This record gives sequence, structure tokens and C-alpha cells, in this order.
Amino acid sequence: MDEDVLTTLRILIIGESGVGKSSLLLRFTDDTFDPELAATIGVDFKVKTISVDGNKAKLAIWDTAGQERFRTLTPSYYRGAQGVILVYDVTRRDTFVKLDNWLNELETYCTRNDIVNMLVGNKIDKENREVDRNEGLKFAGKHSMLFIEESAKTCDGVQCAFEELVEKIIQTPGLWKSENQNKGVKLTHREEGQGGRACGGYCSVL
Amino acid sequence: MAAENSKQFWKRSAKLPGSIQPVYGAQHPPLDPRLTKNFIKERSKVSTVPLKNKKASSFHEFARNTSDAWDIGDDEEEDFSSPAFQTLNSKVALATAAQVLENHSKLRVKPERSQSTTSDVPASYKVIKSSSDAQLSRNSSDSCLRNPLHKQQSLPLRPVIPLVARISDQNASGAPPMTVREKTRLEKFRQLLSSHNTDLDELRKCSWPGVPREVRPVTWRLLSGYLPANTERRKLTLQRKREEYFGFIEQYYDSRNEEHHQDTYRQIHIDIPRTNPLIPLFQQPLVQEIFERILFIWAIRHPASGYVQGINDLVTPFFVVFLSEYVEEDVENFDVTNLSQDMLRSIEADSFWCMSKLLDGIQDNYTFAQPGIQKKVKALEELVSRIDEQVHNHFRRYEVEYLQFAFRWMNNLLMRELPLRCTIRLWDTYQGLLMLLQNLPTIHWGNEEIGLLLAEAYRLKYMFADAPNHYRR
Repeated sequence: MDEDVLTTLRILIIGESGVGKSSLLLRFTDDTFDPELAATIGVDFKVKTISVDGNKAKLAIWDTAGQERFRTLTPSYYRGAQGVILVYDVTRRDTFVKLDNWLNELETYCTRNDIVNMLVGNKIDKENREVDRNEGLKFAGKHSMLFIEESAKTCDGVQCAFEELVEKIIQTPGLWKSENQNKGVKLTHREEGQGGRACGGYCSVL
Repeated sequence: MAAENSKQFWKRSAKLPGSIQPVYGAQHPPLDPRLTKNFIKERSKVSTVPLKNKKASSFHEFARNTSDAWDIGDDEEEDFSSPAFQTLNSKVALATAAQVLENHSKLRVKPERSQSTTSDVPASYKVIKSSSDAQLSRNSSDSCLRNPLHKQQSLPLRPVIPLVARISDQNASGAPPMTVREKTRLEKFRQLLSSHNTDLDELRKCSWPGVPREVRPVTWRLLSGYLPANTERRKLTLQRKREEYFGFIEQYYDSRNEEHHQDTYRQIHIDIPRTNPLIPLFQQPLVQEIFERILFIWAIRHPASGYVQGINDLVTPFFVVFLSEYVEEDVENFDVTNLSQDMLRSIEADSFWCMSKLLDGIQDNYTFAQPGIQKKVKALEELVSRIDEQVHNHFRRYEVEYLQFAFRWMNNLLMRELPLRCTIRLWDTYQGLLMLLQNLPTIHWGNEEIGLLLAEAYRLKYMFADAPNHYRR
């Protein structure tokens, strides 16, 4: 039931066309993978409840289309989002190069400045890598984003990505508390600054 | 008036197989409020059940069981508002229902067709004339269609219900013989198509309840405005247009790797493998190349919109329908290397032109900010708020915006929402609508007609604008 859910969080997934945004989402919500998923038109929407540090959060996840033409639709989705996952494809440098455009987009449309951003490098199962892990790390560090590399195909790192994002959002009470004041649920705070606890092998950069 | 009458028709014929599903009547007339009411009731009972799957499967089942019921209507059924049609009594409905059931039980008993028909297919069938040319020599085209070249390959067969195989409204080979009514309908189409100057208005009317698959390719070419009504000019036009298309290819296709077209081509290239990903036909390299060429040429010739995701889906029905001129059944598993270069070129060029005609009418769906879609979604919202306030308020309460779910409906003309064969059937009707809207029969109008129109406009304005509660309870 919804009663023990601490809060509902709005998460937005953005990034170039074909980087695997929908695949990442489907792996997370349904634990499935389809190599030829039809292109997302406009936006898709999924809900999943996850438990982080004993706190349950309901995630309302908006999966956006990557093609530029649909971008006029997205401003309304940025509004009110607490977390944004920015995805690129480690086997296509162009999707990494365009990250700057997406950050501009973020800055333009996000209504709050404490929103949690996460950079995700997808398709690490593939061999023809074009973007080095350190490049991703560096970019994330420069823009104060969490960072993770994962593969929606092999499942590697997917769960971890969402957990870290949610953990970080929950650690930023200003992001979600005001909307949930009447819930009366006390957050069991853990010591902060213990990034990497759940996700051995990956590191998050603040 | 007309709207009321047709509404009556749908109400009256609710017992007719094929008429109770809101999806089929999605374009016209508007949703029957009673149906949506029930739907809501059901919905609230099982609100946590994954409704989507349940709906999909039952619709699927429904479509399968009633896809041959489209031709049941009276032969003069084109005029839905005619009193004759409305008096269609329950006897007829029952008799037809029985007929449908009987046909299907026969279908089921029929053993699976063997896959080893390869050797039975004479080489000559490889050069079936396209029916646009062969339209006049009916018998030959008939026999060709009865002996399709199919399954000459060993592409993996999908274990699920074929999406395209039963695109026909009526009998494919292996199905029971045509009913008298189906024959009469087909005959009527043939008469229209072969007359010196095809009466497009009449053809459009006939197409509303579905086009028999034998004549669907020609009918679509005509109704989309690609082919002229004059029979003598058709062959030449076809030839000229096909050449023109391949002229474009020669002239422009190499530019796909140039810098200013790179983004367009890359996007198309990413999207093609994931167009109809479940249907083996579309995984073949030859087919994918055809799609890439069609989409690229269209995109660079329409710079205001360019290529937008979703347009790739819109090529599919045309491709399948024009391919069906050469392949009788199991289109979705057909190996196109069995077709000659010429056939493939014809299919490609015709698909391009018909798709272009379709897009001409809806280009503002794909230009910057997609105003066409915004308008249509707004209209949908307006409509729902008028005819089903309960649903509308439900959306509002949960902050569901129409754009969030209806955007894709409009962007892909419902293609993602329906199985391909249903889309094809739906487009029989679209083509007619398109034809009507682009060629309104107003040439001979005089003051009297304008007067009538204004009177009707006044009535509608009075009904809707001055009395918004009209449809509410």
C-alpha cells in the first residue's frame, strides 16, 4: 500500500536519441531488455516503488523522446522534477559531446536549483567504446552530478543508479519535504557523505 | 442532422458484430457516451489491475473474430444515414453473425498450409503484373493472387498471432469461399475502378466500411490522389512518378553523408531497425534500405518539418499494402529477395508518393513545436469534456494532461495503438476522409447550398457554443 511510502519523487530521463533511455527504464521497472525497442514518441511514464535505507519512495519516472523536434514538449516535465538522469551512450561519442546542450536545457527549464542530476553512461557491455570512463567522471565532477556507468542489457549498475539518485534526493529534504509535510513519517537519517556504500565499484561524485 | 443520424445508426446496430468496439468507430461518429460510462465503471472496480494488457488482448481477440464482419452491412450501406440502413433488422444481424461463426469454425478446421509450396509455384508468378496495370484483366490477376509466392524462405516464425497475415477483410486463400455479398462488393469496386473515369466520390463512400484486399492497392493509390481517376492516364502517371522518384534518389541520396544532412540521416538510420521490431519483414536489409531511402528523400524535400520520429511508422501500411500485390499471405514473414528488382522499385516509389500525399495534409504535425498535434490534442480534450465529463474530471483530478497520452496517438496516427492489420483497415477509411477533405464537393454549389450550410452552422453553434451542457446528463 501507499501508506508506508515516504514520498513520491518525480524523475526525468533525458539524453540523445538511441542512447538507451527507455531500455534503462524498462530494465529498472520491469527487469526486461529488448534490443530493438520502438522509439519513444513524446514521453512515456512508469512508476516504481523502491526502498532506500529503509525509506520507501515511489518514483514517477518520465522517459522523454530524444529527438530534437519533441523537445518543445518537455519543459513541463522538468518543472517539479526532483531528479534528472542524463544518459549518453559510451559507444557513441556524439551523444557525449551533446551533453552540454542537455545541461543548458536543464538549466533553462528546471525550477529549483537543488535538483539532483545524475550522468549515466549506458551500453558498457559493448566492445566498441568511444568514451572513456574517466571522461564521464570528469564531466560529472565538473557539473556536480552523480555519475555511473551501466548496461541496460546486462543489468549491470542499473539498480544502483536509481538507488543512488533516490538516496541523494532523500538526503536533500528541501527537495521533497515541503510537499509531504502532512505524511508524518520521520526520515531515518543516516550519516551523510557515505557515497559508494551500496554500489561497490562505482563512485559518485558530488 | 447527419451526425445525429449516424449516431443513431451506431446505437441501433450495437448488436452487429464489428460495431460495438469503440476503436473501429474512433474517427466517426464520436464515442458513444454509454460505452465510455461502462468502461469507467469497470475501470473503477479493478483500478489496480494492469488495464492496458487486458484491454489489448480483448481487443485483439475481438478484432480477430470480427474482422470479416465489415462487409456485412447492406450493399448500399455507404449512406449510413439512409433510413434503409437504419432499419437493418436483428434478423439480418443474427444471420450474419451465424455466417461469421460458421466461416471461422471452417477456418479453424482447415489444416495449416504446408511450408513446402516452393516447388509448386511456377516461375511465372514471379512476374505478376502489379494490379494497377492488371486491373482490367481481372481473371489473370485473380489467379495470380490465388497462387501466391509465399514462405520461400526460412525466416524465423514468430509464435504469436500474425499482425499482418490477416490484413484482409475477407478471404485469403485458405479461407472459405467468398460470400455472395463479398463478391458483390468486390465486383462493385472493380466496376468503379475500371470505368473510364473512376467516380472517386463513390469509391470513397465504398471504402468507408473497408476495401477488399484484392483492390486495396489501386484504391489507395486513387484515394490518396496519387493516381488520376482517368483509367487511360493511370499507367503513364505511374511510370512517370516512379521514374521521378528514382530521379530524386539519384540526385539526392548520396548527400545523406554530407554534413548538413548528417543528422537527418543518422536519425533515420537509428530508427529503421526499431520500426515494427516484432515483424521479420522489416528486419530484412533490403526492406530497411527501402525505408531509409523513402524517409530520407521525403525529409530533405520537406525541410520545414524534416524527419520526425513516427513518420517512419507511417510508411509501413503503404509498404505492406503495395507488397501485398505480389504476395498473398503471410506478408510479415515474406522474404523480399523473392521479388524482382522492378517489383521492389514499384513498391518503393508508390509507398513514397502515397506517404507524401498523406503527409501533405498533416505536415503541421511535424513542423517546429508540432502545432497540428497540439491543436488535435486540444480538440480531443474539448471533445471528451463535452461528451464524457466524468473521464475529463478524472484526468484533471489526477493531473493527467491529454498531451501526456494523446500526443503519440496523433503523432503516429494511432499506429502504435493498433495492430498493423487494424491500422490498414482504419486507413481504408482515412484515405476516404483525406480525399473528401482535400476535394470538398463544393464546386457546383450555389446560394442554396451556402444557405443550408449556414443554417447547419447556426444550429451547431446554438447546440454547442450556446448550450455546452448539451451532451451532459
